[in-house]
Amino acid sequence: MSRSPSLYVDRNTVLHRLTARSKLVLLLGVFTTAYVFGHPAAVFVPLAASFIALIYAGGWRNFKRLAYIIAALFLVGFVVWPAFTASGGPTLLHTPVVTVTRREFLFALGRSERIAAFIVGGLLFVTTTSNEEIVAGLRSLGLPYAFCFAVGTALRLFPTFLGATGTVQQAQAARGHEVSGGNPISRLRGYIPLLIPVFMTAIRNVQTQAMALEARGFDTRRDRTFYNKRSFAPADWAVVVISLVLIVGSVWLSLAGFGGI
Amino acid sequence: MIMLTAVVAAVYAAVLIPFKGLTIIPGFTSVRPANVFPVIFSLFFGPAAAWGSGIGNLIGDIFGGTFGPASFFGFIGNFFFGFVGYKLWGNLGPLSSGEEPDFRSNTGRQLLEYLVVALVAAAITAAIIAWGADLLGLVPFPVLGATITVNNFIAAAILGPPLLYLTWPRVKEMGLLYPEVLRDDDLSDVASARRQIAAYGIAVVAIVWVLVGVFIAPPQSTFQRALGAIGFVLVLGLAVVSGERLSELVGY
Repeated sequence: MSRSPSLYVDRNTVLHRLTARSKLVLLLGVFTTAYVFGHPAAVFVPLAASFIALIYAGGWRNFKRLAYIIAALFLVGFVVWPAFTASGGPTLLHTPVVTVTRREFLFALGRSERIAAFIVGGLLFVTTTSNEEIVAGLRSLGLPYAFCFAVGTALRLFPTFLGATGTVQQAQAARGHEVSGGNPISRLRGYIPLLIPVFMTAIRNVQTQAMALEARGFDTRRDRTFYNKRSFAPADWAVVVISLVLIVGSVWLSLAGFGGI
Repeated sequence: MIMLTAVVAAVYAAVLIPFKGLTIIPGFTSVRPANVFPVIFSLFFGPAAAWGSGIGNLIGDIFGGTFGPASFFGFIGNFFFGFVGYKLWGNLGPLSSGEEPDFRSNTGRQLLEYLVVALVAAAITAAIIAWGADLLGLVPFPVLGATITVNNFIAAAILGPPLLYLTWPRVKEMGLLYPEVLRDDDLSDVASARRQIAAYGIAVVAIVWVLVGVFIAPPQSTFQRALGAIGFVLVLGLAVVSGERLSELVGY
């Protein structure tokens, strides 16, 4: 478990330099645009824009890492949605098992593109925003410090526990423990010897960490300061304005009947 | 309590990713052994488990690359996955064993109570996440609602009782059960009748919401959206008026 599980890519692009808050507003703009339209041609715009921005921000490796999930989600949407929407237009595919009309095809394709746009947009955010920036961003949005501290601590502990989980898996495998065989229930039962050491390791950690916090006089109710607190730069304001225009514009276009099926 | 929240979140996220088991709908749901944790953590750590499960799922999305608008509903759904257990245990009237969940005596009754708790927790999580995914137009409610209920329940039902049997006494001995960690005034003082009504209310709303959403309400319909809105408001209201009884059962 030497590889960091984080998807953050440390670069110095325009997107990296934005604060987490303005990136969240931009993300909201991308999500809104992908959400309000149904036609695949309209949904393709935020999807393509997010993808290009992701590549620009150095996220190609992250995209490759998750390509199978994105492809699987795309396929799931494409297969499932025709069964839950009204048919219409000429028949594009007719077999003894399934018939797909033009409307069903466009609807399913639009939904699959929406899923992909959401995932690629989210990936762009985590590619350009470090864990510390995410926590500082949550705090700057007004979320309680106790919550932000819990998120930050969990983000820091997560790689440690991930490593411990991997170590336990390897240690049990070295003792001949096998979880991959058998039916689903026996496979699930096979996880018990793996979960208990992970759980107890974590519980011991609680005691140590709680003592460390107490020893430092930790108090969630007092005002906090952040070492890397960043103020809103002109670029952040510009992104917020562009995002708001994107949100209002896409909603207005959608209400005017553009981008529907 | 804050450290418990962080550790619950980190453990949940850390076990979610490497122990991803049988994928059912890739990116959305799989039979995951980690799904046992919110239910048993709820019995151990109470409110810390609820917040920790929500945060843990969010971290899983961030590190797993599936962060998006559905993560918001994932957070709320998993919050309730870790919330239901400590609110229901001991408050289910004839379905309750009247004992702490250590599976050392009255095992049959404890198992029955645990299975009810696990089913309700799985159903409420499924209903919230499936409602959100349906609202966002990602996956129809009937597909996701049924899938999440079944696989969350299976993982919690199979792994929960042995894990509780093996770890309950140790965690209790360490003084980390939530009645010991919380201050006295943080333990809600709710009358027994109200606790039971709230517990049954949560159970009924969760099950009815999933059943109606899967079998009756069409996906993406006004009916489906209204059902979700009503179900969610009811669950929130019942959660606010509910109380816990585990602190009594463990002798606090």
